[in-house]
Amino acid sequence: MSSFHLGGDKRTSLADAAALVGDGAMVALGGGLCARLPMALVREMVRQGRRGLHLVGSAHSIDVDLLVAAGAVGVCEESYVGFEQDLGLAPAFRRAAEAGTVEVRESCCATVLAQLRAAEMGVPFLPVRGVKGTDVEGVHPEYARMRCPFTGEELVVVPPLRPDVALLHAPMGDAQGNLHLEQPFVLDERFAHASASVVATVDRIVPTAELTASGVVVPGHLVAAVAEVPYGAHPSSCYPGYAYDRAHLAAYLAAASADDVETYLDGYVRVGEDAYRDLVDPTRLGGWDDSVETWQELFR
Amino acid sequence: MSWTIDEWFVVALARTIADREVVFHGFASPCAQVAMHVAKRTHAPDSLLVEGATYAVDPVPEFVPPTSNDLALHRDAVYRMRFEEFFDAACRGAVDRMFLSGGQIDAHGSTNVTAVGPDLAHPKIKLGGGGGGCNISASIGTLTVWTTRHRSGRTLVADLDFLTDIGHRTREGTRADLGYTGGGPQWLVTELGVFGYDDEGHAVLRGLWPDVELADVERATGFPLRVALDPDLPLLAPPGDAELAALRAVDPLGVRHLEFGEKERIREFS
Repeated sequence: MSSFHLGGDKRTSLADAAALVGDGAMVALGGGLCARLPMALVREMVRQGRRGLHLVGSAHSIDVDLLVAAGAVGVCEESYVGFEQDLGLAPAFRRAAEAGTVEVRESCCATVLAQLRAAEMGVPFLPVRGVKGTDVEGVHPEYARMRCPFTGEELVVVPPLRPDVALLHAPMGDAQGNLHLEQPFVLDERFAHASASVVATVDRIVPTAELTASGVVVPGHLVAAVAEVPYGAHPSSCYPGYAYDRAHLAAYLAAASADDVETYLDGYVRVGEDAYRDLVDPTRLGGWDDSVETWQELFR
Repeated sequence: MSWTIDEWFVVALARTIADREVVFHGFASPCAQVAMHVAKRTHAPDSLLVEGATYAVDPVPEFVPPTSNDLALHRDAVYRMRFEEFFDAACRGAVDRMFLSGGQIDAHGSTNVTAVGPDLAHPKIKLGGGGGGCNISASIGTLTVWTTRHRSGRTLVADLDFLTDIGHRTREGTRADLGYTGGGPQWLVTELGVFGYDDEGHAVLRGLWPDVELADVERATGFPLRVALDPDLPLLAPPGDAELAALRAVDPLGVRHLEFGEKERIREFS
């Protein structure tokens, strides 16, 4: 029987969407760095008290840090967690990694890509070009080495990565779960195909005709549920709607760095998603495209 | 005309790029990011620039934002690679140069961007992580390695606590032994000087910034220092007007400063 998600109206509430992620699930987080992160779903999982998640993906920031801060993460298998030179290391992730309360299985973007492709293709492994002889190889007992039957060269081979669920945020979707994304898609397409299901939030649910005119990037048959959550990627960006909210990120980081993330969780997360949206500074959400000067100001 | 260390440093990085190279920077790399645009707008107009994290090809940003996955970095790009399209190109050897840095860098240009301390289960400092470097440092044509924290004495080390990205060798052997298809590091540019690499793949100090003494480098370097200074090293020639103009135009927010501490940033030259 097909693993595609067939039929009908996939619309649901944010709470019911997040409830599709079980404790201990392997979760792929969409977007990358501070762009198009599935933050509304992250916040809702925190509200629901999710535990023991196994996060997989490439380069991430407040999505991973907030889940770690709330005690929701058991294993972190990302290629980077942080806020680049601007806002620095990820404080909660760093503390948990150093204390050993989260298991860090350091990975590499290209390795994760190969593992997702193996899952998509239904093959038991794929080779990668590097990794061999690095300490990243050492923290992954599930990797192996294999001699190529054609060239004789020895390569690291990696098993499929088949997340239980991919959490994606898109600017637009329709009731059937078709999603339109703007580039860069990062790993979202690969996550969608390799995972058992996609749970999505979208800034706007639109008629299918409007969506197909913009282009469907993730088809509804991969999507189990879609919830309309305006500003669902905030405080990360979701262009063309909104740039990232640097002041909000800095406020989060100040709380998390002072080991006072509870204040942030009480003030912004546990209040509920509607209240969260009301708390967001509206001047940070629009106007990025008024002029280059306005846009630059958002980054100061 | 005067200029600061961050400006000269970025120009030196830019000069490691040859015209008609395909060149890439990772995220969290503001100096390299600005340098690629300086090269593109001066001596390397036919280089193909792949913006890290957006994978936009030859964008012309009006400013470089402090976050790497941002629409500002797509500006005027005719094409955006997909994530997998870039990594495939890098793994099959279609990318000529990448910029790499690290919390620790060893004599062979391997880097640690994972964790400081001997035990990954309980590291002293968990660093951000390596992005795609663990694979593509093995296969990209050549690497420009850089750091702005050489003077700390903790960055250029004899032994890495964790080897994330591949220089000229790992504990297991050389690039040839390991079957890596890329050429490895060509330059290591620091805020104290510039290193090349010898036949053994070991760093060799080739030049110093004018306000730096050899003793400063000796004090700050944890691996055995090999020295072959070239007083006319082109990388360290004073920046030209066009280079400074390009740099100041593309980086009005000064993201390059983010890599320099207060004490370094005041270094000024004329």
